[in-house]
Amino acid sequence: MSRFKGLVARARSVFGARSSEQRMEEEFEFHVEMETRRLVDREGLSPREARRRALVSFGGLDTHREEMRDGRGARWLDDTFVDLRHALRSMRRSPGFAIAVALTLGVGIGVNGIVFGAVDSLLFRPIPAHDPSRLVALFNVDARSKQPFSMGYEDYVDFRDKSGAFDGLAAMTDSPLNLAVPWSSGAADMVWGSLVTENYFAVLGMRPTVGRFFTAADAPQGANPFAVLSYDCWQARFAGDSSVIGKTIRLNGTGFTVVAVAPLGFKGLRTFGFWPEIFVPIGMHNVAIPGSTHLLEGRGGGALMVVGRMRAGMDRPRTEAASVGFAAQLASAFPATNATASALIIPAAAGFDNPAYVKPRVLFLSSALGVFASLVTMMIICANLANLQLARLAARLHEIAIRLSLGCSRERLARQMLVESSVVALPGVAIAFAMLRLSGPVEALMVPHLQFRVGFGTTTNDRIVFFTGAIAVLAVTLFGLIPAIRASSARSLSGLIGSPRTAPGRSSRLRAVLVVGQLALSVMLLVGATLFVRSLLLERATDVGFDPRNRALFSTNVGLQGYDEARGRRYYDDVLARVRALPDVANATWGFPVPFDTYGRGVALYVDGVSTSSKDGTFAAQTSTVAEDFIGALGFRLEAGREFTVNDSAAAPRVMLVSRRFASQVWPGKNPIGQRVRRGGASGPEVTVIGVVGDATFASLGQSSAAHVYLPVRQSYRDWETLIVHTRGDALSMIPRLRTVIAAADPALPLFGVTTMDEAVSSGFSTSRTAASIAGFFGGLALLISSVGLYAVVATGVSERTREIGVRVALGSTPGEVMRFVMRGGARLGLVGLMIGLGGAAIVARLMSALLYGLSAADPITFALVPVVLAVIVFVATFIPARRAVKLDPVAALRSD
Amino acid sequence: MAPHPQESDALRGSIDLLVLKALALEPMHGWGIGLRIQQISRGRLEVNQGSLYPALQRLEHRGWVESDWQSTENNRRARYYSLTKLGRKALGEEVDKWKRFAATMAIVLES
Repeated sequence: MSRFKGLVARARSVFGARSSEQRMEEEFEFHVEMETRRLVDREGLSPREARRRALVSFGGLDTHREEMRDGRGARWLDDTFVDLRHALRSMRRSPGFAIAVALTLGVGIGVNGIVFGAVDSLLFRPIPAHDPSRLVALFNVDARSKQPFSMGYEDYVDFRDKSGAFDGLAAMTDSPLNLAVPWSSGAADMVWGSLVTENYFAVLGMRPTVGRFFTAADAPQGANPFAVLSYDCWQARFAGDSSVIGKTIRLNGTGFTVVAVAPLGFKGLRTFGFWPEIFVPIGMHNVAIPGSTHLLEGRGGGALMVVGRMRAGMDRPRTEAASVGFAAQLASAFPATNATASALIIPAAAGFDNPAYVKPRVLFLSSALGVFASLVTMMIICANLANLQLARLAARLHEIAIRLSLGCSRERLARQMLVESSVVALPGVAIAFAMLRLSGPVEALMVPHLQFRVGFGTTTNDRIVFFTGAIAVLAVTLFGLIPAIRASSARSLSGLIGSPRTAPGRSSRLRAVLVVGQLALSVMLLVGATLFVRSLLLERATDVGFDPRNRALFSTNVGLQGYDEARGRRYYDDVLARVRALPDVANATWGFPVPFDTYGRGVALYVDGVSTSSKDGTFAAQTSTVAEDFIGALGFRLEAGREFTVNDSAAAPRVMLVSRRFASQVWPGKNPIGQRVRRGGASGPEVTVIGVVGDATFASLGQSSAAHVYLPVRQSYRDWETLIVHTRGDALSMIPRLRTVIAAADPALPLFGVTTMDEAVSSGFSTSRTAASIAGFFGGLALLISSVGLYAVVATGVSERTREIGVRVALGSTPGEVMRFVMRGGARLGLVGLMIGLGGAAIVARLMSALLYGLSAADPITFALVPVVLAVIVFVATFIPARRAVKLDPVAALRSD
Repeated sequence: MAPHPQESDALRGSIDLLVLKALALEPMHGWGIGLRIQQISRGRLEVNQGSLYPALQRLEHRGWVESDWQSTENNRRARYYSLTKLGRKALGEEVDKWKRFAATMAIVLES
């Protein structure tokens, strides 16, 4: 009890430091007063003399105060404050050091966090469902080839109702949907949708954010027009407004009642797929996927992904055994369709991405590799920073020795070092956490920008914050502990005198090897980055074969909306008429795909008398279906013949234009105009070539101008087209007005992929740009890290050889000689690192030459530029400590030992 | 004697013992404790008065004494220390220990 009181008193005295200080002063004052009065009363002294004597007999006030504070445990706090102040002061004195530490540590920890975040969402992507570990994907698998394939509806129903292996089994298939929101002024859009069986959400055991999921009870036939929104869709398109429940949206032109919003973070069951925004009952398939009349039929393979919940008490092998057994029953019942269709069970978290293609093991391995690489980077950063701290410490060994001799405890010294390191590291940790916020944009940079969202869905969850925090603590401890241990094991002054400190030890050799390795690695990364950047610049500078300026693009899918061909043609003509009537529009046309579109379309062509190596004797070519005036509207070059007009209609003879490359491949040395080809094969319809178009780049990365043919949309109708508007002024600023004009033709029909041709071209280069920026980022990071490392090694060398330098100066070395002496060591390391790095870079460049455009792997400019950059860095990293060596006072330097 | 912060353990222990002994009679403030030690020792022991306070703090942390603020007869606020039950027990043990120690020292020194 009293012991407890003692503890309480101690705790109170630490936390109530201020008031216990006041109480102590009051107590002391009371004592002195009482003693003064006693002396006045008893010995008849004057009050002043009495007080003086009282103070004397009390003894040193400060000594007692200090002892009291020690006893209270306030000493520890005081010391820490002193250490903090000291650390802040020394940070102000050497801002370069502080910045280097903050940057390298911050970026190092931050990269770890981002990599972990990506891995986290890739590997542990949590399905916000009830007990997701019990969810499995069920696939058909070919009994002979072991090739998995998706399931037919009738097989699914049998598995669901008769196999007895599952507590619930749901099926789904994905499709784009045309979304229109009647009550909102927001434009209609094409979104990714998922058609699911009515029990889908029940099998997943999911709770809606708002509303109530549709269930089997709602729609026995699954034909009720209900829609469930994804959380992201709800936020982005409906401002997270709960009143959307019960309202009617239009999907592919048909009304659907919104019944629920799916939970936050639910992006469908596929990792590498589009994220569905809207879920509708699969019974609505005729609306959702026009023409899919047979979706809910069939065996031995079909369009359905199947997800199930394992029956209680069954593990995965038993579930699979039961499924395989049931598949065998189906095979004997329906030998015509199911003879070779066995079953395959995969964990749902990893299962829906073509199970044969991405093995979870590969994913796991590459993720582990990523985490390992970033952790190693982190270790190197810590080693470098610890080196840097040691270099700074070496300069203070003398001070430490004196303090040790004066009775400063080693524990106290170690604590001081740890406090200093933590203070220096703190801004770095802040930078790291700020970097976590970048994981979204980083992902956006790495993941292609498509009409529908894809990606890892990297978010900053608790796990990632915890991991980053742990890495930060680990890094700061590593970074601070080494100097702390070193400081606490420093010799006191007596031990220091006469100690041999001129020979560089084993550890400094290790440091040198480490630095050479870092330099070599940064040279390799820099060469890679420079090659990518040069390749990108060359790529951008090449002629794309058309004029991308002042062109606005709008895509539309009238097929989804249920337009038949006649209505589609009317719509195309109507829009062209409306847009061409605008005063600021020079020209407009339809075409699909257009250059730098995400999509491509191929066609097989047969030419009489011209042989090819293909089995059916046809040529493969890329194709675009376009409307009249496309040459002018798209900024193409017409090299020969004529282009399409309104007269090239369905009733007129079939015509086509070909690209220069196609013409020279198929009819070398001949006039292509008037040549005839057959579409599809030898028996296909005959088409006459009426013109030759200059080669245009349709995709990026130097896959320039494949053989291309252009067909008139009036003769070969397509229900998915892109409108190209050639504006007289800036296209971007005209987009809103154009959108209004086009939407007037059918307000419910979504326009998507709205952009300018300049933008499309620019994003077409995004792969190379991403490669260049990632390589550049890591090259710069490596350079920063290795320059810190080099600096630390040279600076440590200088402080270790203070005496030697002092002797040299005393013996008459000039500052220039001292400088050269110090810098020679650093330069040697730099040179070795450069040589090894260039050797490695030559190999890496050869490996990545396929990714380079218009550039040889041995690009002389790159291989000349990188050594220059490295030389500058090496110079700076060695010059600073060398200058310090020159400033050494020879006498002080000699005395320093 | 003038105890230094880094006084020997023996000395420190003896101050603690003297304080405990002085408090055995009745609760007392720090100045009174010093005065009483002087009186009991008939003026032969004059501790450096200030060093009483760290000793009191030590004893309080150990749970042997407790303190509260009271008014003196002259209506001044002062911190009064008193022995706890644990302190009273400790006093007995410490006195025994000291006596054994002193006797041992005497044997050693007189041999």
